[in-house]
Amino acid sequence: MRCYKGSSILATGHHPFFYKRPISSLPASFPSTTLSYPTRNRFLSTRIQARLIHDDPVKQSEDLSFYDLLGVTESVSLPEIKQAYKQLARKYHPDVSPPDRVEEYTDRFIRVQEAYETLSDPSRRVLYDRYLSMGFSFSFSGRRRNRYHEEVVDEKSEWKKKWQTQLSGLKKRSNQRDNNSMSWAARMRRQHHTSEDSSS
Amino acid sequence: MAEPAYTVASDSENTGEEKSSSSPSLPEIAVGIDIGTSQCSIAVWNGSQVHILRNTRNQKLIKSFVTFKDEVPAGGVSNQLAHEQEMLTGAAVFNMKRLIGRVDTDPVVHASKNLPFLVQTLDIGVRPFIAALVNNAWRSTTPEEVLAIFLVELRLMAETQLKRAVRNVVLTVPVSFSRFQLTRIERACAMAGLHVLRLMPEPTAVALLYAQQQQMTSHDSMGSGSERLAVIFNMGAGYCDVAVTATAGGVSQIKALAGSAVGGEDILQNTMKHIAPPSKEASGLLRVATQDAIHRLSKQESVQIEVDLGDGDVVSKVLDRLEFEEVNKKVFEECERLVVQCLRDAKVDVGDIDDVIMVGGKEEIYKEVNPLEAAVRGAALEGAVTSGIHDPFGSLDLLTIQATALAVGVRANGNKFIPVIPRNTMVPARRDLFFTTVHDDQKEALIVNHLLGYFKIVGIPPSPKGVPEINVCMDIDASNALRVFAAVLMPGSKSPVVPVIEVRMPTVDDGHGWCAQALNAKFGSALDLVTLQRKV
Repeated sequence: MRCYKGSSILATGHHPFFYKRPISSLPASFPSTTLSYPTRNRFLSTRIQARLIHDDPVKQSEDLSFYDLLGVTESVSLPEIKQAYKQLARKYHPDVSPPDRVEEYTDRFIRVQEAYETLSDPSRRVLYDRYLSMGFSFSFSGRRRNRYHEEVVDEKSEWKKKWQTQLSGLKKRSNQRDNNSMSWAARMRRQHHTSEDSSS
Repeated sequence: MAEPAYTVASDSENTGEEKSSSSPSLPEIAVGIDIGTSQCSIAVWNGSQVHILRNTRNQKLIKSFVTFKDEVPAGGVSNQLAHEQEMLTGAAVFNMKRLIGRVDTDPVVHASKNLPFLVQTLDIGVRPFIAALVNNAWRSTTPEEVLAIFLVELRLMAETQLKRAVRNVVLTVPVSFSRFQLTRIERACAMAGLHVLRLMPEPTAVALLYAQQQQMTSHDSMGSGSERLAVIFNMGAGYCDVAVTATAGGVSQIKALAGSAVGGEDILQNTMKHIAPPSKEASGLLRVATQDAIHRLSKQESVQIEVDLGDGDVVSKVLDRLEFEEVNKKVFEECERLVVQCLRDAKVDVGDIDDVIMVGGKEEIYKEVNPLEAAVRGAALEGAVTSGIHDPFGSLDLLTIQATALAVGVRANGNKFIPVIPRNTMVPARRDLFFTTVHDDQKEALIVNHLLGYFKIVGIPPSPKGVPEINVCMDIDASNALRVFAAVLMPGSKSPVVPVIEVRMPTVDDGHGWCAQALNAKFGSALDLVTLQRKV
């Protein structure tokens, strides 16, 4: 989805906003409406505009899949995804990108980030792969209409469950160590003393 | 093509253009400043490493206060106090970081009423009245003004030592600061002639320093190497912050942030309340004695406190550790809650954490990081990186990928806060959500965020409720400037039916505590929105 396409605004010239009609056969959870807002720099100099039109790496990236955006194959492992993401961040993040290309690189960075967020989450990657195999090459999944209703609720419950298990495990462990009701700080000090004793 | 000779600076205090990235006339290396509740420090990349500047008394940690006793106010950078008690006469204003950008209904402001200078509240949601005692009269000031006076001194000190103008800064800020508070910090910097290049939540500055040390010891190439997970816990006098960072090859990716306005100051206040009669809590002498006792408690099991408060009031008390911990139980529990929340938000297993870094306290736990200098060093590194400085030895092959500490969103679905950009979203970020009307033929809709501002969408075509699609998009750039867009779409239309609205936020000024009530009284639910439901 091309929500932040500054270059598309410039390329289409007279139409400041790009709006695609929903495709009725699409699954409802994937974006059906695209809307383009101006990029950060609202008053681009003529020089930058000219370059954006003729030599724009972002422009070609619109229809890329998440795998294409990260420059990896579909069989890639999680550590490789992380590495690819960080390498691209080194190039496109506004802190390190060339001063005259910050705007376009930032747009690209946000797209790369979105690809990373989906592909680094195993369950979301499975879902994305499924849609990809159905022939849809969506670059953006974060802009679902009902993202709020779907994601927020899902993720909360999943992580809560996981965390409750972890927490109860931790509590059990700490109780075994201290049958008496020592305070947290007192325990910390005791550990500190123990380690001092053992090192001396 | 020639650049225009003059440009009009935006009226808005934090414009994206103004702040975004480096100016063409490089290289002015941005300095890093760590504004602490009780002490500040300033550091800069000197071409090969981070150098922490010292004041004329050879101190790297400079006490944050401004005294108003003379005609010209003097800050802690140049001012030599005769003794500690001088801080407590009412002429010195400190704890600016606790007070800045807070309204007078805020509990943190109320907790500050015990301080020796005047903090007066009307409890109606306006800024508190703050004043220093000068020649037996209360002279009013603001936290921004006090901070600006202090920052000017820091700036002059740096300019003298670096023998160049200092304009660009990277500032560390507490995680829990609202966008409104951040604009107040930026205002103070602007008053001091400083341009804020980046605002870094304190633990993320530490994370960058950690990334550099990882990079230096492992000699990995950029962006490669195995990923290390670290938890950073930072507790200062005013704030407690936690971050989880994933680091590989010099890139620090902030997975989650959590923070709260609890700190050493709360511990001090609680302890003072515990050992002294209520009428004497504001005593400066008691403050000094209590602080000293708390410091001694970290080495001794118990301490004897003896203070003569005058008028025959004498505090004589033995305080032991268990009692101290009981008195401050709430503070410790809050710290624990923050760590748990941060780990949960980062979606990492406790067992996967490689390092725990504790900073801001008195104890040095993680060996390679000086706890009191870590944040300012990280800020100085970021200053060099964003200024476009390269180091031949690779010491600046670094990157920090920040995350939003707080969610930003709008009021919808009744009186609910609906996040558009959830917390812990990596920045720069741009997200949007679709909303719709709640009434048939609703022509207008109000976009509301009580801390950031309000605007109205007009010209929605007459249609049954739930039909118009109102897209609200939020955009945060690398320098943390927020823009909000709103567009109205109708089913079947190819483009927005009315011109899109773009608003730089926050738009509110002081007194935003009032606005919620005023808006409700004026509009009720007439201009409300709900999130657009799935259409099957």
